[in-house]
Amino acid sequence: MAAEPHSIPHRVTGWVQQRIEAVGAALLAGSAAVRELWLVYIATWAGVARRASRRRVPQGRQGRPGQARGAIVHQLYWIGNRSIVFIAVTLGFLGMVMAYEACLQLSRVTGDFSQVGSQLLRLDVSDFAPTLTALMLATRVGAGIAAEIGSMKVTEQIDALRMSGVLPIDYLIVPRFIASLIMTLALTVLGGVVMYAAGGLTAKYSFGVNPHVFFDASMVRGRHVALLIVKAAAYGAAIPVVAGFCGLRARGSSEGVGWATTAAVIGGSFAVLVLDFLLSAAALVVFGGDL
Amino acid sequence: MTAPRDGFIAGIGASAVAVAQEVGGIVLLTAAVARALVPPRIDGRELWKSLYKMGNRSVPIVVLTALFAGGLMTLQAGPFVKKFGATALAGWGAGYAVLRELGPILIGLMFSGRVGANNTAELSTMTVTEQLDGLRALAIDPVQFLVVPRVIAMMTTLVALTAIGDLVALIGAAIVGRVMLGIEWSTMYHGFVDNLRPFDFLHGIYKAIAFGGAIAVSSCYFGVTVRGGAVGVGRAVNHAVVAAAISILLLDFFLTYLTG
Amino acid sequence: MTEPAAFIEYRAVAKAFGDQPVLRDMSLAIRRGEVMYIIGTSGVGKSVTIKLLIGLLRIDRGEIWFDGRRIDQLAERALVPLRKRIGMVFQSSTLFDSMTLAENVALPLRKHQRLAWPAALDEARRRLAQVYMAEHAERYPAELSDGMRKRAAIARTLALDPEVVLFDEPTTGLDPVSARRIDRLIRELASGLGVTAVVVSHDPPSIFGTADRVALLYQGAVHALAAPADLRASPDPIVQQFITGQSSGPMETPGF
Repeated sequence: MAAEPHSIPHRVTGWVQQRIEAVGAALLAGSAAVRELWLVYIATWAGVARRASRRRVPQGRQGRPGQARGAIVHQLYWIGNRSIVFIAVTLGFLGMVMAYEACLQLSRVTGDFSQVGSQLLRLDVSDFAPTLTALMLATRVGAGIAAEIGSMKVTEQIDALRMSGVLPIDYLIVPRFIASLIMTLALTVLGGVVMYAAGGLTAKYSFGVNPHVFFDASMVRGRHVALLIVKAAAYGAAIPVVAGFCGLRARGSSEGVGWATTAAVIGGSFAVLVLDFLLSAAALVVFGGDL
Repeated sequence: MTAPRDGFIAGIGASAVAVAQEVGGIVLLTAAVARALVPPRIDGRELWKSLYKMGNRSVPIVVLTALFAGGLMTLQAGPFVKKFGATALAGWGAGYAVLRELGPILIGLMFSGRVGANNTAELSTMTVTEQLDGLRALAIDPVQFLVVPRVIAMMTTLVALTAIGDLVALIGAAIVGRVMLGIEWSTMYHGFVDNLRPFDFLHGIYKAIAFGGAIAVSSCYFGVTVRGGAVGVGRAVNHAVVAAAISILLLDFFLTYLTG
Repeated sequence: MTEPAAFIEYRAVAKAFGDQPVLRDMSLAIRRGEVMYIIGTSGVGKSVTIKLLIGLLRIDRGEIWFDGRRIDQLAERALVPLRKRIGMVFQSSTLFDSMTLAENVALPLRKHQRLAWPAALDEARRRLAQVYMAEHAERYPAELSDGMRKRAAIARTLALDPEVVLFDEPTTGLDPVSARRIDRLIRELASGLGVTAVVVSHDPPSIFGTADRVALLYQGAVHALAAPADLRASPDPIVQQFITGQSSGPMETPGF
């Protein structure tokens, strides 16, 4: 016979069952979202291919609807130029902190600062510069893209686009995608330079490390630079796709836009972390101790 | 006819003024919050609601982030381990990076994205739909009723999350150490315990308190000063998240430098 | 017979937003216990006028007097006692989405009368019953129709027993039946409880059915001030254009 409905064992199992159902539902929803996101990603590349092939066809007076001339350039400016100060400031401070912490720990253990600069540069190039830059961009650019596209969605401009025969992905996401790929790499380099330089300053003024000793590129190999490029490209691809995806899914009115922006920042940051983890792990497996 | 150069410099000047205005506004709001705390007249219901909502909402993402962050640090120590067999280094390196820097910063950023942005969205929606004016018309101070409970809730929640996240990150570091570098659990454990001091943990907690305050005040500020409809809300969230990120990094620098 | 002293008085009030002047030289005296309707085309400054009274907006020039004291220069904290005596029902009803109706109405009771939460909720339900909303007390604003939200908002504003209630377009967007219910409520407030009502509206049945006096705002000032019947009979072409609802005529409407 089944237990009494309100007896304690029944309530406990009921609670457990509820929790399991909740987790299951979350997983299902999550995997559905990931699948959709992947589809958006593929569709974005399709849009890029479409755009590349269309370039050989002479443009009409205004360009066909959906190919706003200079959209990429506009996005380059919006993503790139307007983030320069932000990236420089944030990575500058991060570089100072990291150098400070590294020197502090070394002073506690060995007191030998001869390798600090070279190891730090290796780590900066292969991991910190691309990842930290991308985390900052996921916040700034991701939020911006999601806010823009989200507002358009809730004010029904996306539907209006569709009715004039334009694919929202082509018109909205592709230019941002291309611009982001370029700009993430450029800003990574900028961020890395600022970070390392600021670190050197901190090492000199707080721990007396000689700049000649600190600024040492001997540990950096081609593989590290390759990692930097691969990571920057991966992040540069992920952020706009996630942000555009969240923007296109915005529902309701202002709450929907707020939600889309939140989701874009979290999703973009998390994607960067996961990609970093996967790429770093892969590099470790491939190169082992020589990384 | 203005030369392009003038336009550029004027643009920088305008940006500087805008930033100064925002910083000023945030400072004023902080002062208002501080004033409302002396004597403490906090709306208990709102505080409780906020605590529940914010904690609930952010635990999953913080736990996941912490796992990956801890694992990442071990990965960075990987080459040293593989080349020199410095297994103890992994625990020590990952541990101090997590407790002192990576934990508070990453968890702070995730918190800002999840809870801070959400808070701005809620408050800005309330402002746009005149609910905030409605409060003032009922002679209820929005700062005391809405902002203060949220600030306290966010600071408390972030500290708790950072503590939990630190622990989870160390676990993540240990897992990656075991799986990818073949480091025994006990080695990692000793790496943590032998080399990390309680002060390192507290250092991260002080930062969490500061970050929590910065995220809370800036998210509330951009929420209540929003203009325009749906577009304004998106922009407010954008500004809030960016401001929080900058504040976190600035505060991190000053706290690291000042407290060592 | 001497004119009764004005309870609320605007003297030569001016307000501009940026370089856009909205009120230029607005003077209006409102008597205690009357129902005063402020009418005019969109954007002429009607909502601005009542928001100025409780300090949600600040005037650029002029004076505002309430119950014998000047109030336009009070600081935010000093406005608290004023806002307990003058309540406002907003156009978008501004109920708090995260609370039930009862909790919404109980909020000012708890804050200002220091009632414990259960006592405040009981009183809130009583107030909701007065506006015929008792059976919806435990529901959330998002679940209700506009008319019902409006009535709940009125109950919340009345919770502190204000002497004056400002209404910002109370019947706009409501179906005719709900609109007439709101009109009746406003009338009951004035005749039954002696509340002074200042209503911003452009709803003719509401205006002519409920008002004691009507003030027509035009080009930033009070263009006409009369009882509804006198207004209807006014020879002024601008008044006539507004009342009869003509789209063309001597009236200049900004933005068209």
